Amino acid sequence: MEMEIAEKRTLASAAQAAHQSGISDRALFLSLLLVLLFVLAIVLVLSIGMGATKIGVRELLGSLLSWNHPRVGDSVILFELRLPRVFASVLVGAALSVAGLLFQGLFRNPMADPYVIGSSGGAALGAGIGLFLLPRFSFLGFGSAAAMAFAGSVGSMALVYCLARTGGRVPVVTLLLAGFAVSTMLSYSTYLLVVLDDNFGLRTRVLASWLTGVIAVPKWTQLDVTAAMIACGLISSYPLARRLNTLALGDEYACQVGVRVQRTHLAIILTGSLITAAAVSLGGVISFVGLIVPHMARLVMGPDHVRLLPVTAVAGAIFLVSADTLARTVLAPSEIPVGLLTAFIGGPFFLYLLSRTRREYTL
Amino acid sequence: MRTLLQFSDVSLSYGRHSVLEDLSFSVEEGECVALVGPNGVGKTTLLRLAAGVLACSYGSVSLAGRRLDTLKPAEAARLVALVPQRFNVPFDFTVEQIVEQGRTPYLGLFSSWKRQDRRAVERALDLADVTSLRKRIFNELSGGERQRVKMALGLAQEPRLLLLDEPTQSLDPGRQLELLDLIRILNNEGITILAAMHDLQLIQGTFSSVLLVGPEQDVCKGRPQDVLVPDILERVFDCPSRRYPQLFGEERILLETST
Repeated sequence: MEMEIAEKRTLASAAQAAHQSGISDRALFLSLLLVLLFVLAIVLVLSIGMGATKIGVRELLGSLLSWNHPRVGDSVILFELRLPRVFASVLVGAALSVAGLLFQGLFRNPMADPYVIGSSGGAALGAGIGLFLLPRFSFLGFGSAAAMAFAGSVGSMALVYCLARTGGRVPVVTLLLAGFAVSTMLSYSTYLLVVLDDNFGLRTRVLASWLTGVIAVPKWTQLDVTAAMIACGLISSYPLARRLNTLALGDEYACQVGVRVQRTHLAIILTGSLITAAAVSLGGVISFVGLIVPHMARLVMGPDHVRLLPVTAVAGAIFLVSADTLARTVLAPSEIPVGLLTAFIGGPFFLYLLSRTRREYTL
Repeated sequence: MRTLLQFSDVSLSYGRHSVLEDLSFSVEEGECVALVGPNGVGKTTLLRLAAGVLACSYGSVSLAGRRLDTLKPAEAARLVALVPQRFNVPFDFTVEQIVEQGRTPYLGLFSSWKRQDRRAVERALDLADVTSLRKRIFNELSGGERQRVKMALGLAQEPRLLLLDEPTQSLDPGRQLELLDLIRILNNEGITILAAMHDLQLIQGTFSSVLLVGPEQDVCKGRPQDVLVPDILERVFDCPSRRYPQLFGEERILLETST
């Protein structure tokens, strides 16, 4: 009897301790977000400063906050080359990571990534078609590529979604196979466009760099449009993140607590495709970012999508800015495509994840 | 007593294949009903119809006097909760994070958590006796613990009707009895319960009535001692009761008293 009471007491105190750690959950989240933002600021400054022409930290901050005016050449490098490129990698990194998070939630599967499931491939093909076949159409200096990239991304996602789902579930095997088949078809279709282009002009080079994943130096108007697309996507991701937590417990359960499952799935596909399309039209097909970043974030933060969303976005930006800085400085003056770099890191990581989850999915 | 759940001439078919045909019964407020029937007779389907997850092809399902198909999904989810038999979670959610999902019908896409939501989750954790597990990861729990967490998840919806699909399946005898205790406690709290039960031995003492669906979809509802009798069971389950006396409540009690 005494033992039982003692046991109850320890249980109660354990529960209390657990409850107090519930408060520190929130503290962990906020401090992690602050740390990540701080790291992002440092990485940004370093990245802008690094390159063929070094720009010192003092000089850089001075010209950004305009207390001194840099030499004319440096100013051009800074505002026309470095800043747009670094901002582009911030946007692409955040977008691909959040898209990965959304798709992983949608498929209830940590292996989903815009690249793996063919969403990036669809966006690249769409953008290619826009570039080659509808070159006249132009909106805010962005051309039809972004709109077609979105259409391509939605189309390929819808296809993979229909192929991979069996009886309300998406087994990892069918998801990976459907994604593999669709993205292979899409990337060879994109190559076909390259072959058909007989004058091997600028557009072919653009397309080829899209397929390997290179963050080119965009125009500021281009950045404005993609930033707007990504902002829309992130804003609509927030309410979806809450739904993803419910959907994680299964479609049937979500339906039972009053979630309109089909409609929510459609909203997730559209949002994920929108931000994937924005990312692809800036940086092409950059693989595995959407796999690595959400996974790392989940290891630290746990699986709550509402908290994962901002953490993933900032961490994705840090990851891709760092990767792109490496890509353009390691073998300077020549550049490695950043897509190649992320594939070298992400490929083994993907295989590691696969070997770890194999156990669960053979049941 | 008021009728809480009413099935009127409910039929359900997938294409040509008919699953349920002309099913009518009602469950009164405050009852604790065991749903019994042979394999494949559509017990799970019946529960899903009652939860509004499935819509019937003909007839109507009413909840608290209102047809389910006229209710918005979130409205229905505040009246009825279904605790599923199988439940797999792909990520490492904690018990608390899972039980919080039960508040979904009360929360819009943008509305924030209110004190009553917090309180409902605490109460659900407390009733199902899983408060001490709240920070544990669901996938690392034992079968009995998982079953209790699933119950807490249903309770967080604050339903008037709680539907349970085989709640005692794959639990050891001790955990089975714990779960029956929990069902009794919840019923005493005023929650109406309809539970698909496989094990006939566990019905008496906990459930106030039995809803028996036969192989021809013939429904019979009554007190356990009136329904779980050898004549009926022999026909419904197509098994001679004399060969398996331990299957049936009364004989089992006799056996227990004689030993």
